[in-house]
Amino acid sequence: MKSRAQRLTFSPGIAMLVGLAVGGLLLVIQRFRFGLGALTNLNDGYPWGLWIGFDVLVGIALAAGGFVMAGMVHIAGRERFHHLSRPAILTALLGYLLFIGALMVDLGRPWHIWRALISWNHHSPMFEVAWCVMFYTFVLMLEFTPAVLERLRLQRMQRWWYAMVPFAVMGVLTLFCFAMTGSAMWAGITFAVLATWELAMRTGVMPRDKQMPILLIMAGIMLSTLHQSSLGTLFLIVDKLSPLWYSPLLPALFFASAVMVAPAMVIVEATYSARLLGRKPEESLLRDLASGMPWVIGIYLFLRILDMVARGAVLTTMAVSLQAIWWWLEIGLLISALAAFITPAVIHNRTGRLTAAWATVLALVVHRFGVSMVGIRVPEYPTYIPAWSEVLITVGIVAAGLLAFRAAIGVLPIYGEEAEGALEEPALVGEPVTDVVGVIPASVLARR
Amino acid sequence: MDTLSRRNLLTTGGRAIAGAAIGTAAGSATASASEPVLSPEALASEAEEQWALLFDSTRCVGCRACEMACSDANELGKSPDDIFEGRGVNDARALAPDTFTYVTQHDVAGMPGTAVFGKVQCMHCIEPACASSCPVAALEKTPEGPVVWHGELCLGCRYCMMACPFLVPRFEWHSRNPEIRKCEMCYQRQQEGERPACAEVCPTGALKAGKRGELLQEAWARIAERPRDYVHHVYGEHEAGGTNFLHIAARPFEELGYRANLPTDSYRSLTRPAMATIPYVLNGLGVVLGFTAWIAHRKHQLTRDGYDEGDEGREP
Repeated sequence: MKSRAQRLTFSPGIAMLVGLAVGGLLLVIQRFRFGLGALTNLNDGYPWGLWIGFDVLVGIALAAGGFVMAGMVHIAGRERFHHLSRPAILTALLGYLLFIGALMVDLGRPWHIWRALISWNHHSPMFEVAWCVMFYTFVLMLEFTPAVLERLRLQRMQRWWYAMVPFAVMGVLTLFCFAMTGSAMWAGITFAVLATWELAMRTGVMPRDKQMPILLIMAGIMLSTLHQSSLGTLFLIVDKLSPLWYSPLLPALFFASAVMVAPAMVIVEATYSARLLGRKPEESLLRDLASGMPWVIGIYLFLRILDMVARGAVLTTMAVSLQAIWWWLEIGLLISALAAFITPAVIHNRTGRLTAAWATVLALVVHRFGVSMVGIRVPEYPTYIPAWSEVLITVGIVAAGLLAFRAAIGVLPIYGEEAEGALEEPALVGEPVTDVVGVIPASVLARR
Repeated sequence: MDTLSRRNLLTTGGRAIAGAAIGTAAGSATASASEPVLSPEALASEAEEQWALLFDSTRCVGCRACEMACSDANELGKSPDDIFEGRGVNDARALAPDTFTYVTQHDVAGMPGTAVFGKVQCMHCIEPACASSCPVAALEKTPEGPVVWHGELCLGCRYCMMACPFLVPRFEWHSRNPEIRKCEMCYQRQQEGERPACAEVCPTGALKAGKRGELLQEAWARIAERPRDYVHHVYGEHEAGGTNFLHIAARPFEELGYRANLPTDSYRSLTRPAMATIPYVLNGLGVVLGFTAWIAHRKHQLTRDGYDEGDEGREP
């Protein structure tokens, strides 16, 4: 195998990304020198803009691949998709780290961020968001640790990680539940549920997953579910939002659309990563993912339309306004993606599949922009349109993310066949751990 | 009023439950975290004893002495020229980091030459959207009534501004260390036994400080006394769940620039149902995911036992 490091050449594409990232950083420095008003078009009527709409709402949704793929592989037992789960976890981790970075730029007083740990307000959806971000990032780091340990060939550390992680998860989730409810009873229930599963696994009553502690994957899904939906909850108190988007179902719609976009993002990432690394994409896996897409798009679209009908907001879509056009844009993209994904010819065609996946991603972007920008009208203030500097900072952050992803897939064993240093001995009493964390055994790959 | 008595009954029950809830919520980090859920009526009855303001538009002559007093009391740095010279009251103005209140002037349709006045400032809601939405409890509904801001906690996320139905909180867009700025009903002054600066200086008695329960009674008494001079509505009695700043006027409030048709439930009630589902979702997922994993892995185990060792991971 070629040295992976050699592949990190300094191509024009990389140079451009570096340029964009540095440009963004320079603007960020200006933002901290002169305040938010100097670089953004935000005002007292529109205090949230592109950074919340794209960096936060879209960014978090696009990171949903991490928990969906991990859940599919380690909870639902679809081990075939193993291959795609580690890149998805990497994307999610990078996404969350970048999101935290972007949030620091958007917050007026970011140096107080740690106050969220000690000053609790469990009535606030933003409090839920803040805790989900912190705790899920921690969980993602734990989920990604094996890839790093493998690269460094630290097998003993890997076993230690496998044994200790469930305790970390129990502690973190119990604290989380207590913070969200203020109720020792609820926190106790969370602890009891998790401890029961772990006990069942340690005593051999319940089979374990050989690569990932099940509790860790569960924590990822639990925190993600709350995080994705809490971003919708944020807007329940914002009565300036147009009925085209405002709905008591916003949390459910945010969650459903995040699950919808997860496989689409995996298709996009896997296709481009394969191109970058000069490998063939995992055609059969991607095809299977694509054939599941009609379900997730269908469920979300059904919820979206049903919600509009139930609220009696259908007529507002007939207005001639930017808002109505924006709404139709989302629905149009969803319907085209749905049509594409139920067409076998498209699913089997690499370009067709990629295009349909992009349409799904775009539909989600349109929805999140609708909720955070297009749908909000405060007539007393000049309508918000992002400033160039806001756009460039966002572009810089995305460029930094792409660079980090590029570096990681070059250096770390992200894709299956590059994995090395599998654990050969049992990590715990019970079943032997034959294969490491996040990778399909070479024997299985060879057969494929 | 049998609905009212039923509500009172619910309130009593609610308090009993709330008491139990406090008992289980042992050692919450802040007072607000263990705050029980009270019905609007229960909250209103608690607010009766709280500090409040009554603005009687029919007594206001638009002199703006309150604006000057506000600037002096809160050190907003305005000179008399800034407030009294060069502009009329009906010039378009807005709340700002250095403007916590201002008086508005409105022409009455069909009655040239007459003007009615409004006053814009923080409404000090009984259950404020801003305090409910603040992730770190930097905005606090004090037990005395005013809604105040704690700078040492604030992250600058501006969610309070998104949430406030009255568009009150202001952000210092051009500051390196921006603050959320708004009227705090002269919390410091009132703690020292003084009245809010605006109410103290008002020469016509258009502004009156007092306890919310008493001011509400007085507002309705004034309306009852001269029913033809007032619209029969106390703005702030029920708006957004009720506010500690009450208004009465001769003209419908939308003509005075107030937001009409606000819900009578507090804004916290918009997010409360979703927030209440958290422990159910969390623990429900904990149970369901565990069982799913068990079944899936057991299935693999059984399938694997029928094949070679190397076949693990393959779908049956």
